[in-house]
Formats: sequence, structure tokens, C-alpha cells
Amino acid sequence: MIEFKDVNKTYPNGVTALSNVNLTIDQGEFVAIIGLSGAGKSTLIRCINRMHEINEGTLTVNNVNVGKLKGKQVRDFRRKIGMIFQSFNLVTRTSVINNVLISSVPDLSAWRKFLGIFPKEKKVEALEALDKVGILDKAYNRVDQLSGGQQQRVALARTIAQNPDIILADEPVASLDPVTAKVVMDDFKRINKETNMSILINIHHVELALEYADRVIGIRKGEVVYDGKSEEVTQDVLDEIYGSLDNVPKMDDVEEAEV
Amino acid sequence: MKEPIYDQIFKPKTYTLSNGKEVKQRASRTPLVLLVVLLVTVLSWEATNVDLSALRTRGYQFVIILTDMFPPNLNFLNNIWGPLFDTIQMSLLGSIAGALLAIPFALLSSSNIIKNRILNGFFKLFLSILRTLPTLITALIATFVFGLGTMAGTVAIFLFTLSYIGKLMYEHIENVDMGAFEAHESMGLSKVQAFRYAIVPDVLPTYLSVSLYAFEGNIRYAAILGYVGAGGVGLLLDERLGWRDYPSVGMVLLILMVVVFIIERISEYFRMKLT
Amino acid sequence: MNKAVQLQLDKEPNRKLYLSTIAAILIALIIWSFMGVNITGFDQRGTQIASNIFSGLFSPDLEFLFDFTSGGGVPSLLFETIAIAFLGTVFGSFLAIPISFLMSPSIVSRPVAFVTRLVVIFIRTIPSLVYGLMFIRVTGPGPYAGVLTMSLTSIGMISRLYVDVIENLDRGVLEAMTSMGCTTYQKVRYGILPQLFSSFLSVTIYRYDMNLRDATILGLVGAGGIGAPLIFAMRSYRWSEVGSILIGLVVLILAVEIFSNKLRERLVNG
Repeated sequence: MIEFKDVNKTYPNGVTALSNVNLTIDQGEFVAIIGLSGAGKSTLIRCINRMHEINEGTLTVNNVNVGKLKGKQVRDFRRKIGMIFQSFNLVTRTSVINNVLISSVPDLSAWRKFLGIFPKEKKVEALEALDKVGILDKAYNRVDQLSGGQQQRVALARTIAQNPDIILADEPVASLDPVTAKVVMDDFKRINKETNMSILINIHHVELALEYADRVIGIRKGEVVYDGKSEEVTQDVLDEIYGSLDNVPKMDDVEEAEV
Repeated sequence: MKEPIYDQIFKPKTYTLSNGKEVKQRASRTPLVLLVVLLVTVLSWEATNVDLSALRTRGYQFVIILTDMFPPNLNFLNNIWGPLFDTIQMSLLGSIAGALLAIPFALLSSSNIIKNRILNGFFKLFLSILRTLPTLITALIATFVFGLGTMAGTVAIFLFTLSYIGKLMYEHIENVDMGAFEAHESMGLSKVQAFRYAIVPDVLPTYLSVSLYAFEGNIRYAAILGYVGAGGVGLLLDERLGWRDYPSVGMVLLILMVVVFIIERISEYFRMKLT
Repeated sequence: MNKAVQLQLDKEPNRKLYLSTIAAILIALIIWSFMGVNITGFDQRGTQIASNIFSGLFSPDLEFLFDFTSGGGVPSLLFETIAIAFLGTVFGSFLAIPISFLMSPSIVSRPVAFVTRLVVIFIRTIPSLVYGLMFIRVTGPGPYAGVLTMSLTSIGMISRLYVDVIENLDRGVLEAMTSMGCTTYQKVRYGILPQLFSSFLSVTIYRYDMNLRDATILGLVGAGGIGAPLIFAMRSYRWSEVGSILIGLVVLILAVEIFSNKLRERLVNG
């Protein structure tokens, strides 16, 4: 369970990214977070695994106060939370399986960590994760030989191999074509149903958000302006979240600069 | 915004379109560039006493030396092996040592790895200055410090390799996509682990390829180092050219060519595999 | 474990043999090269000289370093070096233009390209010092020999880089021009030359940067430039003079490198 209580976040340059966020997300929910670029979507999910710090309020994940964690505790905490990125963030010059195996690095003995030699059971786990997203046959290909959709599924496999409770996805389909985007969204949906992992997705495509998510959170200028079932999102709600066209933020907005 | 001086002297042309819009075309810089190039050429011509008629009247001397090299003196082959191996050994050892030491230097110079501007700046400047020194001059200095022989040549090659690989690698490391590093941190890896698994696999192929390329080039450099007494076939070249024993010079050059060719092919093969 | 996973696991490429073979060869080569090189440490004399060079660097012969008259100060020697490298690069780049066209497989037939390539490899392998000595026989000692040497040695690399430019020409422009009904002459004049010009210039500036470094060593064989005074100063242990020359050299090459990088950036970005 993820719980935001009066969370505020201001960037050092004075821009408010989150203001007074109160949210409770239960285990196994599929949540889409929508809003304009720069509204604070990215900040919101990055606070959950402490890639960003919050300034005020408390954020609890599975009864752990995230703000209080230190050093190794942060790293152990992050292992239970998967993260997917818009640009996949894979090591492109190495093989698919090597990317997936990275999730098991913290478990290895020191010499294995250094040499990058993985035990057989870890390799089996990695291959099984690849099997779950349907690209088992690409295991020994180099990542830069794969298409964008395949790369995002490698990233997904890397996260599954972590066996997390929560998956955070930051614009996972923004760099993909519409058909591939659906395939990846289907993967998310299936994982959510089969494993009961909570899934939080930042997403630009409103139609995809409404189609796949059970719950939608709308953010505008750092504030939660809508929180409810996806079926109940109306045109009025969308106008509230996105405002009129005049409010479209510039490209050099906070979020772009920070990420 | 203030216009550059050049545009103030040579006013931009103005065109008026049929719909009343005005478009300004800045005067071309080409005449200025050509003028500067011409001026520098004339000055250089004066300074270096270039005299084309000398080339016409005495140019045959060059051809004579060239033809004297053929056929090469095959009997000289036995004298070549020793210095040739010295040359290869010097460049191999110097390249490997330089490539290894270049790793910490490149890391210390990279602003995305070591977040200390002063330290980065210091090491970048050091590598730049080291790179300006021509290998032959480093070798000359090294012969004074280490005495005549292969040690001086190895040190010169070592220093050049260090600066060359160091600079190329920090440029590469600074341009590495940090996305994977971020992803690994989000998975609970420590910074050192994330570096090992995100940056190293990305940089390693380039590092190996650059090192091979440096070694290729070093063989050429090593061939002339003997000229200042730093060991290798350069010694032979110096000696035989002094004696005007051109057939033997031809033999040395021929062998050198073959060796360089073979090493380039091998290194090219591995560099192709690395990319 | 399901069957497909097991199957994939068995397919894992085994590179152990390959990697260990390479490692073994590499280690053998390192040992071999250690045997060849006489590792001598600093002896007393060496340390003394090293410290002399350092003190020379920190207390250079200022009069020599800032002697702007035409007779033998560091500035005039550096100017001579600059001039050698400049003319050498200009001549070399002009010579390289026809050669590079003869080397491009997309312009001439493959055998011609191959033969030209061989000739260029041949020219490239001969060390510049050897050319220097050969040209001295033609022109007598002095900077002129240096210019000729630079011209010849720059051909190899410049033409190789020119070939890359020619082979990577954007053919889309030509297609567009054909569709507009342009003649061959028009296509060459407006489609090819503008593309070639800035790239060729960029290559030439890059080579100038390198030639400057090489020009400094030609003095060692008497082909002009700052190399000869350096070696004389060292042989006669005038360390403050050595310091002045080295400082001048480093400053000059750094300045030219920064300047040429800026220039090439502007050429590429228009």
C-alpha cells in the first residue's frame, strides 16, 4: 500500500512540483496518472522509490516511511519497486539476458559482482522473466538490435526479475508506435492480473489510460485534481486536468529539465 | 542585438518581397576568409623560402634516392630483426601501460563520474598538455632522463598513449547515456555497482577499440624514435641514411611496411568485431 | 523450469575458450615485450636531468621566449613552424584532391581505386623524418625541405578522409536536382561542390592541427622549425632555453587546437 500524506515538493529553483498530495493506493491496483508535461506526474512516481526527495509530509510504502530510509536501506527498499522509463534505459551494447540479470546483482558475492559471472539459477530466473514478456528467443541478442517495443519489454522483464510489489512506469509507451504501445500495455495488464503487483503509470495518451487502468489520477500544477475510477472520467474532468489550450506549458518546463 | 563588426562594414543586402516583407542577407564571409588564407600563404611562403624552381632543377635528387632503394638490400634483413622486435616490444609495452593508466585519468576527468570541477579541470588540462608534446620530443627528453635505449622509447609511447586514450575516453564517458545508470540505481544497485553494470559495458568496447587503434599508430611512431637514440629500427634508418646506404634503407622501409600492414589488418579485424 | 527456458539456457554462447585464448596471447605478448625492453629506473644522473628540465620549465629564459625580432627567438621559430605546417597542409590538401577521387570506388573503377590506395599506403608508411632527409638533398637544409615533407606526408591521411566525404555525399540532393531538370554541370556545381567544400575544409583544418605537431620534429633532421634549436639546447644542457621552447610549443599547439576546433564546429554547424 502506498500512502501520500500532505506531501509537498519544491525544486531548488523554486518551482513547486507537488502540493498537498494525499493519496492511498492499495496493493494490486492499476493506476494511470495523467496531466500535462510539467504537471508533476514524473515527480510523483519518482518520490515513491526515492529517486526524488520530498520536502514536506509523509510517504509510506508498505508501512515503511520512505523519507526516513538511509543508505543501504534505500537500496534494499528500491529492490521491491520496479521502474520502467520512457527511453527504456537499457545497456544497449550488451545482450538482452545481461540486462535482465542486473536485477540480481545485489545478491551476488563480491567476486561475482566484479566479474559479472551469474549463477545458473539467476540465469533461469532471467530467462523465465523474458518468457513472461514473450521475447525469450531474443535472450542472446544485443539490445541495440531490437525494436523499441522489444526493448521496452526487455526493461519489463528486467523489472519482473526483480519480483517487485510495485511497478512504476514513467511514460512507458511515449516512444512507441500505437500498435506496439498496445502490446506493451497488454503486458502490464497481464502482469497486474497474474501477479497482483501494483502498477502506476504516467501516460500522455488519455485513451490508453482509460482503456487499461482501473483508476485514474489527474494532476494539474502539482495538485491532484481528479482521483477516481477510469469509467467515470468525463470530458469535464479532462478539461479540468488539462485546462484550456492556453495553459499548455513550454518545452523547457521543470519536469523536462529535471528528468 | 548588436551586429558583428563585419556586418557593420559590409551592409547586409535587403530584399523586399511582393507581400512587403523584408529579408536581410548577410554579406558572405568567403572573401574575407580567402583574403586571410592568401595573406598567410604569402607570409609562410616568404618565411620558408619556398622556391619552386629548386624543385624543378634538383627534384631528381629525390627520385634518385627513391630509385636507389630498389632493389632493397635483402642481405640486410638479418640486421633488421633485432631492432624491429625492439620497436614492436616498445610500442606494445608502452601502449598497454598507457592504456591501463588512461582508465583512472579518464575517470578523474569525467564530470559525470567524479563530481569535482577542479579535479576534472586539472586532469583534462594535464592530458591536453601531455598530448601537445610530439612523441619524438618526449622521446628525446626521455633519452636524457633514462639514457639511450628502448626504455626511453617505451616511456615516450607510454606518455603519448596515456594522453591520447585518456582524452578520447573521457569524451566518450561524458557522453554516455546515463539512463541505464539511473535505472540500475532505481533497482537498488549502489553507485559502484551501477557504474560496473551500466557504464562499463557501454564504454569497454570503445576503450578496447581505441587502445588497438593507438597501438597501430604507435608502431609507426616507434619506428622513428630510434632517430633520437630511443631504440628500434629508427636507429638503423638514421645510421643507413647517414651512410647513404639506400638499398638497406629500402629494406628497412619494406619490412616496416609489411609489419605495419599486418598489424593494421589484425587490429582492424578486432575493431570491427568490437563495434 | 519449462522446456523453452531450458532450451534457451543450453543455447548460451560459450565464449570461454575464445576469451581465454585471447587473454593467453595477450599475456604472452606482454611478457615478451617486457623481455625486450630494458627497464632502467632513474639513476642519479637521470633524476638530476629531470629536475633540471622541470626547473627550466618554471624558470624559462624569458628574453629568449619573448624575443619578437626575426632572429632566432622563440616567437620567430614558432612562426617558422606554423608556416611550414601551413604551406605543407595547403599543398598536401591540393594534391590530395585528385588522389582522393582516384581512390573513391564510386567514381573510378575498383582496380584503379585499389592501386591508388596501395600507393597511398606506401607513401604513408615512410616516416616523415626519412622524407625530410630525402628532401634536404633537393633543397638543402631549411624550412623549405620541411614544407615539401609535410606536403607529402599529409597526402595519405587527407586523401583517406576526403574519400570518406566523397563516399558519404548526400545523393538525395542530386535526385531532387534531377527531378528539377538540372544538367550534370549544374548538379556538380550546386549539388556536389557545396557539400564537398565545407567537409574538405574541415578535414584540412584537422590535418593542420596534426601537421603542426609533426612540423616541430622535422627540425631534428634539419628541415626547419623549432625542433633543431630544441635538440641543440638539450645537448648543451641549456635547460632554461629548453623550458622556453617547450612552453612556447605547448601554448602554440593548445591555442591552435582550440582555434581549429572552434572553426570546424562553425563549419559543420554553418
